[in-house]
Amino acid sequence: MSELERLRHAMRATERPDAVLDLDSLMREGRRLRTRRRVAGAGAATLATGLAAVVVVVAVGASGPGDPAPTGHPPPVAVAPPPVGVSPWAEKSLGSTPPPTVGRDEPPPKPLGQFVDSGVKHGTDRRIYYFVRVSVDGEPKVSIGLAAGRQAPDGSVTTDILVNDVDGSDRSAGFHQIGYDEGSAAPVPTFGYFVGPAKRIIGTVDGRQVDARVARWSVDKQVLIFWFDPAQLTPGERLDGIIAHDSSGRRL
Amino acid sequence: MARGDAEFVEFARAASARLVHAAFLMTGDHHQAEDAAQTALVRTYASWSRIHDDDAYGYARRTLVNHLVDGWRRPMREYPTDEVPEQRRGDLADDVATRRWLITILGALSPRERAIVVLRYYFDLPEAQVARELSVSVGTVKSTSSRALEKLRTAGPRTVDEEARR
Repeated sequence: MSELERLRHAMRATERPDAVLDLDSLMREGRRLRTRRRVAGAGAATLATGLAAVVVVVAVGASGPGDPAPTGHPPPVAVAPPPVGVSPWAEKSLGSTPPPTVGRDEPPPKPLGQFVDSGVKHGTDRRIYYFVRVSVDGEPKVSIGLAAGRQAPDGSVTTDILVNDVDGSDRSAGFHQIGYDEGSAAPVPTFGYFVGPAKRIIGTVDGRQVDARVARWSVDKQVLIFWFDPAQLTPGERLDGIIAHDSSGRRL
Repeated sequence: MARGDAEFVEFARAASARLVHAAFLMTGDHHQAEDAAQTALVRTYASWSRIHDDDAYGYARRTLVNHLVDGWRRPMREYPTDEVPEQRRGDLADDVATRRWLITILGALSPRERAIVVLRYYFDLPEAQVARELSVSVGTVKSTSSRALEKLRTAGPRTVDEEARR
């Protein structure tokens, strides 16, 4: 038997036909991912009109045409609301936030706190990050989600991606959901947030370390928003690891 | 359950063992392999409405391989305590030896070489398709494949002998 034949034989002989995956879990996650994609697309279409930009996470399943109906427990899903005639988002207009909403017809919530300007440009648009209020069914300690959007010179905002925890607490110490570009119209630099006294965030990819840019959230100084320069970390490329250091260089 | 869901469940049940094993061949770690296969199937399900009439298995396979090659560039780990399923037929010692040999020789390859070997010789894809799925040239597939096989020739017999003496 040649080496190649031996290799082929060995690869097949070691198959484990009993491998079982948790189909309920993966379908739940798949529905969540599908809805996130839908948010990005719907958000772009809605908000490019220069109207208010919001993303609302609702606690009911939402299936679009041609999508399979939800089964089992309804997943946390997000939808972008229809256009509404209110003023564009602007830092000066940020104020009180309405309570969590549970449907498309509810008034959209305002961003929580100030926009973080990443310094990344997409033509004339600026890449910004901001928190919005979210509601996840059965998860009372999840109330915020971090969005990546683009702000046009006229102040209008296009939302590309929203990430939020789907269990636990959104303020628990450490890293939370990390947002990766998924083929958005404008590539979204990888982003996320860390809760705690972090000063520096370092990602690892392909054996090299990449420093993230960071900014404190205006509403809660324990929350550090971070993003990676797209020139150093290609949008969409998954990190191998990520760590946080405090001001004395100690790993958190 | 919606028709689309029923089709997906049927597909996932049929494909999961092979996807998990392919991921295992690329990582050498059962837990990581199951995570990777799970991720591939999550993404497949997320796109199910537009792909289930096409090559769903190919979509899941491409997602799996790209996820592992691009996202998890970690060295392959050996798993000396790997358990052997009770229902496997044949000599257990042979199975263990075969598995160890396989992991040892695949572990000598880079992630991309492993991907090419798995796509070429486990999934039996032609070189042109391997090239398309990994977004590399056919020349790269040929040269990498040749280099990988050379490593196997070098590493293989010695390792098998060592296993035989255990």
